Amino acid sequence: MSLMRIGAFLYSTLRLSTPLIFAALSAAICEKAGLFNMAAESMMLWGALIGVMVNGWTGSVWVGFLGACLAGVVVGLLIALATVKGKADLMLAQIAINLASTGGTIFMLFVVTGDKSTSAMTIQSDTLPKIFVPFKKVPIIGPMLNKQNILTYGAILAAVILYIFIKRSKTGVHIRAVGENPNAAESVGISVSKTYFLTWAISGLLGGIGGAFMSMAYTSAFTKNMVAGRGYIGLCASSMVGGNPIGAMFCAIVFGVADAVANQLQLTNAPVDIVMMLPYIVTIVVLIIISVIKMKAHARKIRSKAQKA
Amino acid sequence: MNKTKRIENTFDIVRILIAIAVAYLIALIILALISDDPLNVIGLFIAGPFSSKKHIGDIFTRMIPLIFTGLCMCFVYAINKFNLAGEGAVNLGGCLAACVAIALKETSVPGWLCIILCIIVGALAGMLSNAIPAIADQVFHADVCVISLMLNYILLYFTTFILKNVIKDQGAAVTASYKLGSKVKLPKMIPGTTIHIGLLIAIACVVFVAILFYKMPFGYKMRAVGINPTFAKYIGIPVTSTIILAQIIGGSFAGMGGAVQILGMFPRYKWESLTNYGFDGLMIAVLARKNPILVPISAFLIAYIRNGADLVATKTQIPPEFVSIIQGIIIVLVAAEMFLSGWKKRLIFNAARKDLNEKEAKA
Repeated sequence: MSLMRIGAFLYSTLRLSTPLIFAALSAAICEKAGLFNMAAESMMLWGALIGVMVNGWTGSVWVGFLGACLAGVVVGLLIALATVKGKADLMLAQIAINLASTGGTIFMLFVVTGDKSTSAMTIQSDTLPKIFVPFKKVPIIGPMLNKQNILTYGAILAAVILYIFIKRSKTGVHIRAVGENPNAAESVGISVSKTYFLTWAISGLLGGIGGAFMSMAYTSAFTKNMVAGRGYIGLCASSMVGGNPIGAMFCAIVFGVADAVANQLQLTNAPVDIVMMLPYIVTIVVLIIISVIKMKAHARKIRSKAQKA
Repeated sequence: MNKTKRIENTFDIVRILIAIAVAYLIALIILALISDDPLNVIGLFIAGPFSSKKHIGDIFTRMIPLIFTGLCMCFVYAINKFNLAGEGAVNLGGCLAACVAIALKETSVPGWLCIILCIIVGALAGMLSNAIPAIADQVFHADVCVISLMLNYILLYFTTFILKNVIKDQGAAVTASYKLGSKVKLPKMIPGTTIHIGLLIAIACVVFVAILFYKMPFGYKMRAVGINPTFAKYIGIPVTSTIILAQIIGGSFAGMGGAVQILGMFPRYKWESLTNYGFDGLMIAVLARKNPILVPISAFLIAYIRNGADLVATKTQIPPEFVSIIQGIIIVLVAAEMFLSGWKKRLIFNAARKDLNEKEAKA
């Protein structure tokens, strides 16, 4: 493979990874708070749709982007409302929201535009700017980074910021404390329900940005079911590393690599389906290995405690 | 049964009915707001599914796969493990059943035996799909939900791989398998409708599951584990094996559902995406409050609402997907404990006070 093609391959890997990274981060913060985020799917769908709509109305791509963020936050807060205030089962509430969102976005698109599958013909929307790097002649790195969308950089930046936020900030510590043991956190004066609301809002924000990338960068329109399981992949990427944002980012990139490989192979005669299957098999195997390691460590801890006693 | 318990039980049913009514009302309001001819559209949505023999038959046909996945999710939900592999199990069951049907097409095996073999293979496929997350969860302590979500995609790509490389009919215009043959076509039950014999199989499964749940030791064990695993462990129930076995039995119904759906409805196998029957099944199990006897009723309800939406979509431009909003609202309202909880507490409180007053009057 020539250097040119390696560069192009890495370019498409990063591009395909971007929405996965946002989904993974959205799941990661929830995981740190002891929650389980299956609804990144919905956050991204609404983000993608509302972003395009607001963009079309106002004519400004950045206002559209804000709209997408807000849409994600609203979905997050809805889940918080149903589970914290309404005491609904977390899993059921999220499955319900996912169900309502797949249909709801199509329905809303229809009400606004009269089209049932895509906004491409009816809403005039732009894409977020691409970044041109000065070193585009450098082999591999140049073509890999040149003309990447600003949100691709945003994804990597978001992972770092989220990492620092969870690790260092006071709110981040509160979120982790609630995740470790909500009762203990409550007893030292941390409001658990407030923390949950905040976590869902941040998670929704990240999911909304991921959605904005789908409809305002990856493509330039909203199409129905465009998220296509990326939220679930993000959830897996995050649970492979126990909710560490940086780790979640790298896991998401691994899925991106698989996507890019599958895209390349689609041009050849290789069995695409088997290639598409591989990342999922790897995830399951890794998840099981990690769980076994954790289990062993836990057993060791108990044994050493028993010996001391 | 004591009074509080009785109030709670009746209240639960009333609550589900109210949730459905609220969601249905919201749907009607949405329909009225966006259509040019609200009365006709609403009439079509409400009465359309019952307007002719064929339409009524369509409701029952639509129920069939929903009953199967609903039963599957009853098991999963009864033991409180969100194993969602039932979604992929439908695809795998359908695909493998189609393979068996194609393999036996030219042989002299009688039709009824082919059908039974197809359905058994479908059930085994479902068992296998549900077993993987169940074992990963119980033996290795990996998250059952994440594993099953991943597994769904593995099963999907596995079935599309088989479809494209093993059973694809090169002569067909679209990606589809060879014809399954008239031998395995499930016979129609009532002329003039699409209802096929799969409905009887589904009902037989409901009866079997109801007996298993409420009349057999395994059902008691399973429900005890679901309600309180620690307690179940202390009274000597083998928790791990019960949880795994319950999910495996449940999976067989999802796989069977896929097989029955393919044999009953389609001349060729051509599923290239997840069918969503699994998630629908979870919703049906929630509506039925994990009670298998109520599964056909909730499946009927969902099939009715969907057929209404489809009819609206054929006569107007309104996309049928709007019903998924109703479904979402129903699940959230049913799942939200706080919904109408004030009313329930008042009822229980009043009943208790009445009891107390009566006792004091006697004394």
